Amino acid sequence: MKILIIEDEKALQESIQKYLEHQGYVCEAVGNFISGKEKISQFTYDCIVVDIGLPYGNGLEIVKELKNMRSKAGIIIISAKNALEDKLKGFELGSDDYLTKPFHLSELNARINAIIMRRNLGGSKITQFNEIKLDAEAQHVTVHEKTVDLTEKEYRLLEYFIVNQRRVLTKGAIAEHIWGDEYTQVSNYDFIYTHIKNLRKKLIDAGSEDYIKTVYGSGYKFSDN
Amino acid sequence: MKLLTKTTLYFLLALALLLTASGFYLFSEFSKEINNRSDKELITDEIKWIQYLESEAENGTTFILKTPDLLIFPVDAPISSFPTITDTYEYNPKLNNKISYRQLSHVVSVSGIPYQITIKKSQEQKAVLVTNVTRTMLFVFAGLFFVMLIFNWILSKKLWEPFKHSLNKIRSAELQKMEAIRFEKTNIDEFNELNASLNYMTSKIYTDYVNMKEFTENAAHEMQTPLAVAQSKLELLLQDSNLNDEQLQSIIQATTALDRLSKLNQGLLLLAKIQNNQFETNEAVSLTEITEKYLHLFLEIIKDKQLIIEKHFQSDFRVKLHPLLADSLVTNLLGNAVKYNYEGGRIEIVITKDKFQISNTSLLKPLKPENLFKRFYISKNAGETSNGLGLAIVKKVADANNLSVTYKSENDVHQFTIEQK
Repeated sequence: MKILIIEDEKALQESIQKYLEHQGYVCEAVGNFISGKEKISQFTYDCIVVDIGLPYGNGLEIVKELKNMRSKAGIIIISAKNALEDKLKGFELGSDDYLTKPFHLSELNARINAIIMRRNLGGSKITQFNEIKLDAEAQHVTVHEKTVDLTEKEYRLLEYFIVNQRRVLTKGAIAEHIWGDEYTQVSNYDFIYTHIKNLRKKLIDAGSEDYIKTVYGSGYKFSDN
Repeated sequence: MKLLTKTTLYFLLALALLLTASGFYLFSEFSKEINNRSDKELITDEIKWIQYLESEAENGTTFILKTPDLLIFPVDAPISSFPTITDTYEYNPKLNNKISYRQLSHVVSVSGIPYQITIKKSQEQKAVLVTNVTRTMLFVFAGLFFVMLIFNWILSKKLWEPFKHSLNKIRSAELQKMEAIRFEKTNIDEFNELNASLNYMTSKIYTDYVNMKEFTENAAHEMQTPLAVAQSKLELLLQDSNLNDEQLQSIIQATTALDRLSKLNQGLLLLAKIQNNQFETNEAVSLTEITEKYLHLFLEIIKDKQLIIEKHFQSDFRVKLHPLLADSLVTNLLGNAVKYNYEGGRIEIVITKDKFQISNTSLLKPLKPENLFKRFYISKNAGETSNGLGLAIVKKVADANNLSVTYKSENDVHQFTIEQK
């Protein structure tokens, strides 16, 4: 899986690249509009992460260009502006998602994964982590080929964990991904604990290993070592 | 006191002084004239009497003449070359007043015998003169006074019209609409000067206001990218397997703080955008639908806290409101009602066709109405999930969309009401 990152803020660009590479993607990164345009004309990517405000041009132009080229790449716009107009314009031009800065890298990774899954029309939509299999289309989970009955929240939790496997995830990032912004404003993150406890129990009961590790403080990690 | 009244008072005071002075002047001039005439008459009289005395004295007789106005008698005194004329007063017991007289007194020699001649002339007409002059002056004063009153009334109506016009404009001025205020030219220099200054001031205030608004938005905006950088670096750092527990906790705490900062920033940005009218819409949203949506979203936590929800949705309340703002309005109010409730508490939501009312039980003390909608006015018990902007956003959303928001607290129940203005 090849990903192009077009982001002018060098430090952020590096963070994104590092995180995504660690999750198994092949990443290329450029810092301005012109190099971005060059890259998309020369190579094909599975997903393109593009900032709107770029030196020498607007990221939306790149989205337009990709559509003109009939590119199959998924597109995620990242922007400091939480402007509805930009969002709508982006979607209209053919972007798949819009993420407002600042965002959690795990969130970006989950979104990229979702887009790639969605675009992978012919292929399998199954994600696997050892004995656990996730069928994205049917929202169905099996452990050792045995169905595990999960609630919607538990399914999304597991999906998020597997996509961001072997990474420490903060409660905040998890809560925001699954319950949304509004929810996290109303309550502290304690409610996550119950859901994670239930998910863990269901997986272990189904014969899976205990992959959900509590990280000292207030984070979790889905890992097999 | 009105400026015009004050100037009129000063004017009247000056007028009174002037009239009194001119009264005195008039009186003294007339009085001099009268004296002159009396004196002339007195001298003519004296000459006649002396002629008479001289013609009679040839017979060798001496006279003593005495009438109320005339006294002639021989005297043993040196002869004076000129008569002296003085003012005298005589008390009249009958009328119980003093009568003033002009009196001539002279010692003359008639056929060698010195005579004292004293002639008096009543000055009654002088008293009449005083009354006349005073009356005239009072009359002039009263006349002028009434003319001034009428004049004032007309002046304050006409002349001060542009001033009052400007005053009304200032009174009704609103910060957001200040650029539309123009103080027109009048035909009075002072008012033109005032209006020009006012024009300058309003446009200055307005540009400052716009700059400040833009500044808030830009500042909040510019913070997003550095925040994103910091957050992503911490997230990467968190993945380092060599970290010990203490280091991990520090990173997670820093991440949480950054999360809060970024929420806060988003809140400020939202406030700035509402103020900059970036959410104009012509479409109406249903508050009932939005409420249902968020009740569903918060369902888990509502169950968790065992809150009792009482819904009284009498009819749909449709408001012309940008969907994003409508969401913000409902989540903030409903969110607070959930957040600040106690376990097993109650939330009552009433929706009628022009009202949205949400009441919740809470152990928190009633909020102070004067601070309620201020930014960063956080109740001590609000806890760290509050960023102090929620109610400020509610208020701004209401203000910008012709809605009113009121707060009431009774018996540990806090109630917020949104109504169509």
